[in-house]
Amino acid sequence: MTEAKNEIKITGREVPRIGVYVCHCGINIGGVVSVPDLVEYAKTLPNVVVGREYKFFCSDNGQEIIKKDIEDGLINRVVVAACSPRMHEPTFRLVCKEAGLNQFLFEQANIREHATWVNMRDHEGAYEIAKDHIKMAVAKARKLLPLEVQKVNVEPSCLIIGAGIAGMNAALDLGAEGYQVHLVERTPTIGGHMAQLDKTFPTMDCSACILTPRMVDVAREKNIEIHSYSEVVDVSGYVGNFNVTIMHKPHYVNQETCTGCGACVDICPVTCGNEFDLGLATRKAIYIPFPQAVPGKYTIDMNKCIQCGLCARTDICEPGAINYDDKPEYVKVKVGTIIIATGWDLYDATELKQYGFGRYPNVINGLQMERLLSSTGPLEGKPARPSDLKAPHSIAFLQCVGSRNFRDGGNQYCSRVCCMYATKQARQYKEKHPEAEIYIFYMDIRAFGKGYEEFYESAAREYGITYVRGRIAEITEDENHDIIIRAEDTLLQTPIEVKVEMFVLSTGLEAKEDADKISSLLSVQRSSDGFFMEAHPKLKPVDTLTNGIFVAGVAQGPKDIPDTVSQAKGAASSAATLMAKGEVEIEPYYSVVIEHQCSGCRSCQSLCPFGAIDFDEFKNIAVVNPVLCKGCGTCVSACPSQALVQNHFANFQLNEIINWALKQ
Amino acid sequence: MSDNVEKYIKRNVNKGINSRIAQKFVDAGLEVMRSCINCGTCTGGCPSGRRTAYRTRSAIRRALTGDESVLSDIDIWLCSTCYYCYERCPRNIPVTDMIIKLRNIAVEEGYILDPHFSLANDIFYVTGHGVPANGEANKKWQDLRESYGLPPLPPTVHTHPEAVKEVQELLKSVGFTELMENAAKLKGERAKKEEKKEEVK
Repeated sequence: MTEAKNEIKITGREVPRIGVYVCHCGINIGGVVSVPDLVEYAKTLPNVVVGREYKFFCSDNGQEIIKKDIEDGLINRVVVAACSPRMHEPTFRLVCKEAGLNQFLFEQANIREHATWVNMRDHEGAYEIAKDHIKMAVAKARKLLPLEVQKVNVEPSCLIIGAGIAGMNAALDLGAEGYQVHLVERTPTIGGHMAQLDKTFPTMDCSACILTPRMVDVAREKNIEIHSYSEVVDVSGYVGNFNVTIMHKPHYVNQETCTGCGACVDICPVTCGNEFDLGLATRKAIYIPFPQAVPGKYTIDMNKCIQCGLCARTDICEPGAINYDDKPEYVKVKVGTIIIATGWDLYDATELKQYGFGRYPNVINGLQMERLLSSTGPLEGKPARPSDLKAPHSIAFLQCVGSRNFRDGGNQYCSRVCCMYATKQARQYKEKHPEAEIYIFYMDIRAFGKGYEEFYESAAREYGITYVRGRIAEITEDENHDIIIRAEDTLLQTPIEVKVEMFVLSTGLEAKEDADKISSLLSVQRSSDGFFMEAHPKLKPVDTLTNGIFVAGVAQGPKDIPDTVSQAKGAASSAATLMAKGEVEIEPYYSVVIEHQCSGCRSCQSLCPFGAIDFDEFKNIAVVNPVLCKGCGTCVSACPSQALVQNHFANFQLNEIINWALKQ
Repeated sequence: MSDNVEKYIKRNVNKGINSRIAQKFVDAGLEVMRSCINCGTCTGGCPSGRRTAYRTRSAIRRALTGDESVLSDIDIWLCSTCYYCYERCPRNIPVTDMIIKLRNIAVEEGYILDPHFSLANDIFYVTGHGVPANGEANKKWQDLRESYGLPPLPPTVHTHPEAVKEVQELLKSVGFTELMENAAKLKGERAKKEEKKEEVK
């Protein structure tokens, strides 16, 4: 970036000289309305001294045109009629800045999204709307005042919510770069869903073998503080300076003194379903989720514990780590950036009654199949069906369970991983039982990743897995707990009925059940599918619309492990970019108090959602903290004596727009 | 060419897609059928299709891609409207409504089965009932009624000639009569053409 040679002094009192630049945007605008006519129209508006058109004003050459007009002293206000300001406002502000003009003397008229795109077939209508937008932008430009951006410091530390493969990778990158990382995990161990998987497609490498060393790396990295069995309960502040409260849930076992010996487990009399194995195995009330857990310290599940006191006996727990009176602990940390990596929940197939999940023992979901296949699973890698613990001779998989489903309770999106995980599980089973009959009922096979198509091809060719194109309509169970499947083989256009010994539902991924909590805690939007929304689907895939908060992994949308890791590294890099700079510019759209008009009624103070208004007892007036103020305008509309003005959106500016909008 | 080779040759290659019938579905507000992914859930669970040649998905697909032979296909009349497909379609397409619409289109174009035509034209139009209570078949019921001292026919449209007139008036005003006349006409024309073809042969 080149700094301006000559700063142009603007006080706001000089006569506005506005330059209007109408962009063709290729044919996006130029193909619908006549850009030369718009330029001629703009020139008829008061104070407009320059009007120009160009194919792409965002291009280097386009920017030079505007820059030259400013540098030649022709204009002191800039209006660009083009795309959305979300796209190119920063571009054109930089143009103004580089030419020496205050960047807030720029206004953008969005005639692409608001006029030509939405009225592609109504050329005349689009033209009229475009004219109105230009008219209003010029009106605003006439009243613009120069503003100064404010800079705030960025704490060189990051809060990462969720310690699955996404959170861990982001943490490792940031830790290695020297930033302090607070890695918060809800369950007693880091590792996330990847720890539950047996092998990973398409390379078939063992999930635990590649994951557990990463977990140990995370534990060893001195810049990473793991807050396991913890939740974020409060977040305040703004980019660069978030104040976060983390609740450490009570383990009821002293994590410092517990040696992880496991003597307590043997004596614990309470047995319950193990979440890690999706209920296919049991655990005790005192437990670690799985043997390689990090940290490898025990936790008591107080919902199940009967407080019999056996584990607390000194001959059982020699270090005396058991503490039934453990209380939650609240830790406050200050961070500059936040990464959301909260992951996903599995779709609950019990909603689809026709598939019998939860009703018939031999109908299981994909993650349960994963546990059955896993060498660390309940059957130690010797998969069997739940009803009689015998290895099934035939298995059917059904794809798109809960996904691509437009009914109530279904997910409309494709979950992206199920085609490949079903293929992988089928292959794994075939490796152990080559004689088994395996069917995969699919609608479309989506093998889009590197090496995926080849993986799919060899599943059919080498392993002899039968792919049937058709969605299963219904199943029934016979007296042997075998499953009778009814479907259409759509390629043969004929109904088929097959009996299999086990039925696996390839259930999809869903947004976390309580994603709305994180969403309201961090003021981060979610898209209609429930996942966290990125700032721009193409250009800002890891940013959220809240400055300083990033998103990684399935929290943003379904993805496989390679994509998750890539995105985690992207999020870490984006967070590091902010922190490396050490300071960040904030738009100066805060409210200003006109001191002699303020009556000190404090209405604004009680209404401000960001706690940005203080009260000066001595002067008896309200004082706005410009850094905390988000420019929402609540105080401005509430002030009974009109003593508050919001920069860039002041009443006199908005009135000018309205007056011109209504002018015939 | 000898007959021996001729019998192996088939020339029914689809030459492009004809959207004439598809447009009728759209006009009826059923454009949601465009989101069909041809998963076969409808056919797979169809109790009729398990016993007959009726294939729900194929029938709709044939209609949408312009294979007009589906209209004359007897299979589309084998749906029992049990609504299994309707309840299960993952794309939320009202499948049964689609089949009913397909039948409507077929009748409009003169593809109506003889029993359906005579039911509509000779029984429904004349008596005001789809299932009338008169005739030899219902003698048993009539006797039973009489043994209780009741008139042989219950007090329905059929027993009130003025009500039958009203029903007929209603059928005329909603275009039902015209629909039947048109169907009969088209069907007749088609039969004549077939006859001529036979004669030529």
